[in-house]
Formats: sequence, C-alpha cells, structure tokens
Amino acid sequence: MPDIQTILVYAALAIAVGFLVKKFFLPKKKTKKACSNQDCGCH
Amino acid sequence: MSKQIKVALIGNPNTGKTSVFNQLTGLNQKVGNYPGITVEKKEGVCKLPRGIKAHILDLPGTYSLNATSLDENVVIELLLNKSHKDFPDVAVVISDVENLKRNLLLFTQIKDLKIPAILAINMADRMDRKGISLDIELLEKKLNTKIALVSSRKGTGIDTIKELILEYRKLPTEPCVNASVIDKDYFENLQNAFPDQELYKLWLVITQDVNFVQLNRHTIPDTSSFNTKSRSELKRLQQKEAICRYQFINGTLKEGYKVDAGAAKGLRASLDRVLTHKVWGYVIFFAILLLIFQTIFNWSQYPMDYIDELFASFSEWAKATLPAGVFTNLISEGLIPGIGGIVIFIPQIAFLFLFISLLEESGYMSRVVFLMDKGMRRFGLSGKSVVPLISGTACAIPAVMATRNIENWKERLITILVTPFMTCSARLPVYLIIIALVIPDKRFMGLNYQGLMLMALYLIGFITAVGSAYLLHKVMKTRTKSFFMVEMPNYKVPLLKNVALTVLEKTKSFVFGAGKIILAISIILWFLASNGPSDKYANAEEIVTEKHRGQDISEEDLNTEIASYQLENSYIGIIGKAIEPAIQPLGYDWKIGIALVSSFAAREVFVGTLATIYSVGSEEESTIKNRMAAEINPVTGGKLFNLASGVSLLLFYAFAMQCMSTLAIVKRETNSWKWPMAQLILMSGFAYIVALIAYQVLK
Repeated sequence: MPDIQTILVYAALAIAVGFLVKKFFLPKKKTKKACSNQDCGCH
Repeated sequence: MSKQIKVALIGNPNTGKTSVFNQLTGLNQKVGNYPGITVEKKEGVCKLPRGIKAHILDLPGTYSLNATSLDENVVIELLLNKSHKDFPDVAVVISDVENLKRNLLLFTQIKDLKIPAILAINMADRMDRKGISLDIELLEKKLNTKIALVSSRKGTGIDTIKELILEYRKLPTEPCVNASVIDKDYFENLQNAFPDQELYKLWLVITQDVNFVQLNRHTIPDTSSFNTKSRSELKRLQQKEAICRYQFINGTLKEGYKVDAGAAKGLRASLDRVLTHKVWGYVIFFAILLLIFQTIFNWSQYPMDYIDELFASFSEWAKATLPAGVFTNLISEGLIPGIGGIVIFIPQIAFLFLFISLLEESGYMSRVVFLMDKGMRRFGLSGKSVVPLISGTACAIPAVMATRNIENWKERLITILVTPFMTCSARLPVYLIIIALVIPDKRFMGLNYQGLMLMALYLIGFITAVGSAYLLHKVMKTRTKSFFMVEMPNYKVPLLKNVALTVLEKTKSFVFGAGKIILAISIILWFLASNGPSDKYANAEEIVTEKHRGQDISEEDLNTEIASYQLENSYIGIIGKAIEPAIQPLGYDWKIGIALVSSFAAREVFVGTLATIYSVGSEEESTIKNRMAAEINPVTGGKLFNLASGVSLLLFYAFAMQCMSTLAIVKRETNSWKWPMAQLILMSGFAYIVALIAYQVLK
C-alpha cells in the first residue's frame, strides 16, 4: 500500500497536469456576445 | 447591497486619465482584459459622499468616437450598447487644460450620445505657469455640462468630480453641437427609417471602419426607406462633421479660454529639439538604455542572489526537517526550486517596469517612439516596438507584456512574435559554457574570439527579430489601417503613486499568471526525472554497486554514478533516448537531448541538467566544463563538444522557442493558442534547420 508521501506526490502531479490541461487545452466558456466564427477583428 | 453608480472615465491619451482613476479608486482597483480581446480593462470602486459607491471603469484612451484600433473599439462598443453591463450612468471626460481644443472633439461626440457627461479639465496646476485662464461658467453653458477643474498631481478637484458623479441625474443630456446640419436630408431620412434609435448612434454604427466584438450591426436592419451612401461619401461626411465640431469648439474656446502666449515658450521646445534630433536623439536614447540595462543587471544582482540563496537554504532546511520520503523530495527538489524560479525574476521585472514607467510618466517615451517609428515601420514594426525588443535582452516575459501600449494589433502581434529572438539573460549560461568549450581563447587585433562570438550571437538575435518582423509584415493581412499618431505630452516629474502602481500590477501579473504555469511544469519535470518505468530505475543502486564491486571507488563517485544511471533510466531519460535519432544529425547525444527537453521549461535549466547527467556534484562551470570537454561522441568517436556541435547548439538556442513561460505569456497576451504554437513550431523548426546545416557544414 502506498505511503502518505507517495499519495501526496501523485496528488500534486494530478493537480499540476490538471491545471495545465485546463489552462491550455480546455476551451474557455464564451458568452453569447463574444466573437462569432467570422473575422470580427478580435484576437 | 445598494446599487453602485456606473462611471466611465473617457479621454484622449496622455490627459492624465489613469492618474484621475488612481486618485478616485486608490488601491480599490483591478486589472483584467475585455472579453475576447487583449485590451486592458481597469476598474475600481470609489467611495462617494453619503456612503454611496461608484464603479469606475478606466476606458482605453481614444481621440474620438471614430475607431481606428481595438482599444478605441472598446470605448465605442460600450457607449453604443445600452444593454452592456458596464454601460455608464455617467461619463467623466478627462481633458488636458493645455490641449482642450483637441480633447473637446471627443466630449462633443459623447454629448451627442445623450449620456450624462462631466468634463474634468486636468492638469489645472499648470495653468498659471502657462498663462491659461478659463471662464468656467461660460464653458459650462456653451458645452451644456458641469466642469471640474482638476489637478490629479496635487489631488485637487477630485472631490468636485465625486460630487458631480453623485448628482449625475441633474446633468443635462442634450448635445452641444448639432452635427446633422452637415447633411440635413440624409440625417432626417436616417432618423425616419429608424425612429427608435438614437440618431448619432446610427451614424456611428454606419461609419465605423472596424468590426465590433460585441455589438451586432444587424440590430440595425436594412430597409428600403433608407438608402445609405457609398464609403467615400460617408468619409466626406465624417470630415465635414469633424470640421463642424471644431468650428463649434473654436468659437467656444475663443470666448472661454485665454492663453498668455509669452508664457508658453520655454524648456519643452529646447528639450524636444535635442531629444528628437536625428543624431543626438539616438545617441541620448541609447545612452539611457545602456544606463537602464546596466542598472537593471547591477541592481537586480543583489536581490536575485539573495533570493537564490534564500530558496537554496529553504530547500535544504525542508529536506533536513521534514520526514524523509518522496513528497519531501518533491517539496525540496521540485516545489521550492520551482517557486524560487518564479520569485528570482521579480527584481528584474520590477526594475524594468520601474524604468519604463518613469520614462513614460516623464513624457520622454513619446519622444523615443517618434524618433524610432520611421526606421521600425520599414520592418512592419512601430516605434513603440523598440521598448519590448530591448527589454527582450533581459527577459522575453516582461518584454511581451510591454507590447500592450502598441495600439495597432498587427504591429503588436509582430512585436510579440519576434521578441523571443532577442538574446535574453536565460540564454547566457548556455552561451557562456558552450563558447568556453568550443571557441578558442585567442585574440585577433586585440579582440577576444569568445567575446566576439557572444556579441555575434546578440546581433544574430536582433537581425533575426527584425528580419522575421519584415516577413510577417509581408505575409499577415490586416483590416485595420495603420498610421502613426503620437502625442508629445509635456515633460513632468513622474508621479510616484502611478509608478508604484504600475510596478506592482506588472509584477503581480507575472507572479500569478506565468508563475502558476512554471510551478506546474516544475512538478511534472521533477516527477519525470525522479521516476522510471523499469527495474533498472528502481534497482539502480544495486546495479551500479554490483558493477563496481571490488573496485577502488569513493562513495561520492559511486553516488553520483547511481544518480546518473537513475536519470538515464528515468522517464525523462527515456524521452531523451527516444529523441536521440532526431537530434543525432545535429551532433547531439541523448544526454544533450534530455537537457534540451528539460530546458524547454526555461533555457537556463540546460546547464543544470547537463551537470546532473554528467554526474558532477556541483553546477560550477569549471567542473562541468571539464567533464563536457571529455565527453566522446558515440557515433564519431571524437569529442562530443567540438566546433561543429558547439556552434550547432549555440544557433539552436539562439533561435528555438525554449521557454514555456514565454509561450504562456504569449498565449495570455494574444488570447489564443494559435500564436504561441506557431511561434513554437516555426522558431524551433528554423532552429533545427540552421543547427543541422551548421553541424553538417562544420563537422
């Protein structure tokens, strides 16, 4: 059975990976009024 | 909770709008971005008399309601959209007492939108010196508004603004100019076609060149009862409108604004002549830059050394105090150095923004922009690109952040994309060790080859940045027209409060923005280097001890070899081995491959990684240099670090996008993954090709 330190390491790793995935790969929620798929000039 | 009065601070650039904002809100402010775009959004809360609060929105500086940039778009979209959550109850139009004529153009346009508007005439403390006198009563009557005479520098008049905000319902909303006289029939038809809409709003929507982010033009439907005009006819009408407004403004100021011309001449004109001189202007600018960068490096050195030592001892303390185990290792070898890796950049960032802010506040930056614009424009950059490019020699992260004051999106984007080519301080450790290994320590005409190589690498960085800017300028299309307009504000002693707030805000933005990403990567890198999938990793100690059984080997050497063996069989070691076939044509082995992968987080990690791989206890360059010099290329049998592989590595680091934090900042500043990914692929691809050619030619 893994000791508490190992569990904490995997928890930290999961948080780090989860944070990066959420930050870089999951799309941000857009409001109805945000950019459409046309070239609206916003970037 | 009582309803807050929504206030929008509007005004031309350099009218002291931000100073008024700071005076109104104090530290009750936050900075963010407008949704979907990267224009900075500053908002705060102001306490008014009788316990009432006002929500203050500091809108980007704009010269008129005819948008030419994304910043100006934001202002117009907000003022045209009554259902917008930030649509103001009252607009406070900030103007500069010395530039009232130009500033009033925007004011008269806002009045046409029938938004209650207060005119705040700022920099009132300069009136005596400049011989300016105002007939406030007459101006209030003519402009159909209430006026607050303000000095944000001295903090006077702020209470008047607060009182006027409180009484905003009593402000007249009728326009002060009847602009529809420029073409009565056209405007009459327009109003008849859309009777429910504000006439001036209709006119603005029809005549804007740019695309709106949030305002839907389709809310004004096409109708057969109204025939609009061609683009050129509309442009002509816009010009007539501006003339009409200026006629009104001239007439008003003739009566209510007097200047004693004798007092107007002085130091400013003489300073401008020198600071924007085609020769002396550049000499002075480069002297100031030299001074700034020397100072940044000199001043930063002490706090950076202190932070470095502090985190090193903290790491040691954590290892010695906490119960032994893998999580303690993560804290002492991953988390603490990871946080240290963020905090150590704070002095550089704070000092850089301190100087940028001082230059901006004093009014000198506008002269620099004017001076440099012509030269930079040929390469698709703007005069304002100079500061980020030069800041990039310290660190690309604050440099990319410093592009925010470039109004034109295309120029800003190009600057963001090419800035990482500039030689940042993180490249220095890599350059120094490789140059020391492969470039002979000899002299030619008194000049040291190694020093010349270092200078050449700096020049290569700059030339590549400007060259790629030129290519991007030719390739990228934009719908926004670019033209140069810079205002020469008066020279003034920088306001310490503004400087301090800028430094605080930029530093916070770095620590809490990029810092979280660097920290997460540190954890992952530590994990990959501290774990391995096979028995070889788990049994490294037994395997290495068995290998040296019966040999005379010190415990220290044995331990370093165990660490090296473990690293080779760790996940990151396996990744290094996996990429070896791809990097072999460049003259690198798997160990350099690991250093390349780990230095993706930050370039300076390269030396540290190699130090561990080559089983050297300390990271001192002399020690690692000897071990690196002794490394043999398994393919050629010759020295691994020779002229060919060394130059190849130098060029790879000169061009490759080896900095996760810069990518994160570029992503944040462009609000898209598209640009940092393009940067990563193109820069690293280019670096690979150049490094490959260099190795194959020189080997």
